[in-house]
Amino acid sequence: MLMGKFIGAGLAMGIGAIGAGIGEGRIGASAMEAMARQPEMIGTLTTRMILADAIAETTGIYSLVIAFMILLVV
Amino acid sequence: MKLNLTRSDKVFLGVIFGGYLAVIIYIVATGYKFQLEGVGQRWIYQLPFGDGPLSRVNPMTIIMTWVVMAIIIFMATRVKVFKIIPGKKQSLLEVLLDYILDLVKGSVTRKEFVRPIFDIAASLFLFVIVSNFIASFPGINTIPLEGGGVKLTILSDSWYAPTSDLNMNLMLAFFVFVMSHVYAIKVKGWKKWGKSFFEPIWWMFPINVIGEIAKPVSHALRLFGNIMGGAILIVILGYLVKYFVLPAALWGIFGLFFGAIQALIFTILAIAYISSLIE
Repeated sequence: MLMGKFIGAGLAMGIGAIGAGIGEGRIGASAMEAMARQPEMIGTLTTRMILADAIAETTGIYSLVIAFMILLVV
Repeated sequence: MKLNLTRSDKVFLGVIFGGYLAVIIYIVATGYKFQLEGVGQRWIYQLPFGDGPLSRVNPMTIIMTWVVMAIIIFMATRVKVFKIIPGKKQSLLEVLLDYILDLVKGSVTRKEFVRPIFDIAASLFLFVIVSNFIASFPGINTIPLEGGGVKLTILSDSWYAPTSDLNMNLMLAFFVFVMSHVYAIKVKGWKKWGKSFFEPIWWMFPINVIGEIAKPVSHALRLFGNIMGGAILIVILGYLVKYFVLPAALWGIFGLFFGAIQALIFTILAIAYISSLIE
């Protein structure tokens, strides 16, 4: 059962990080494009990009919580 | 940029820094051993009456909630007279509350709901940001031992943040959920609110209900996962590199930076949820 815990936690976090990585990469790409088009809005765009980052990271955090619960609490 | 520190500021900072230095010297001199214990567990106290899940309380959450409230009230009573040309504390408060007022005014279209929604949003923001900041300073915390009993650790673990308990986050999200529906009923009346569930077509009713329930769940789990997951991650990473100087930067990023961002996201989403139902 201990090995099941390790395999479960590893798989949960590993597959869950794929979505967060792809999402934040796309957010960064469109932010870079908009910043190159309008250099005077770089401050505003950086703030909004970090805000959008936090929402796109939510599903990655869900899988982190599940991995910790499998590994440490149950 | 030149900081102008008054003499009382310098004395205050000197006392804190000297205190930490003294504790570090004491720890090194008596040969303290680093152990990793009680990473995922928290102190759960069994009440002498009742049965089932309502008879267990988490005393650290209750105590630290009172501490956070005391900090906010103390910060609020330090400004006694509001001057036209503000000092440092008053201008900090004004910047924060102005930003939230701009957010609320940009989202809410009905004039008579701006002030109540601003009250809710500012209270949530202040509470969440102070209780996230507390988790990045070392202080008193508890570790539960096996077989009952609790060990009190002073200055070797961070303060216990009340938002790292799932019950607190669920209560805040549930509060936003209930308030949004109360305001919707107040504006639209019972019939129109009940009809809005069957809105595009009548068999969308289950999908609308699931959408309404998923909002507070994701709202709460985002904050809980960031704070508690960040704390566990830092403890484990710091234990792995325990003889090098790493954790200070990690505490800074996870505690202060992500804590502030998550508090802002919580507030923005609360405003959006409430104002999207009173349309």
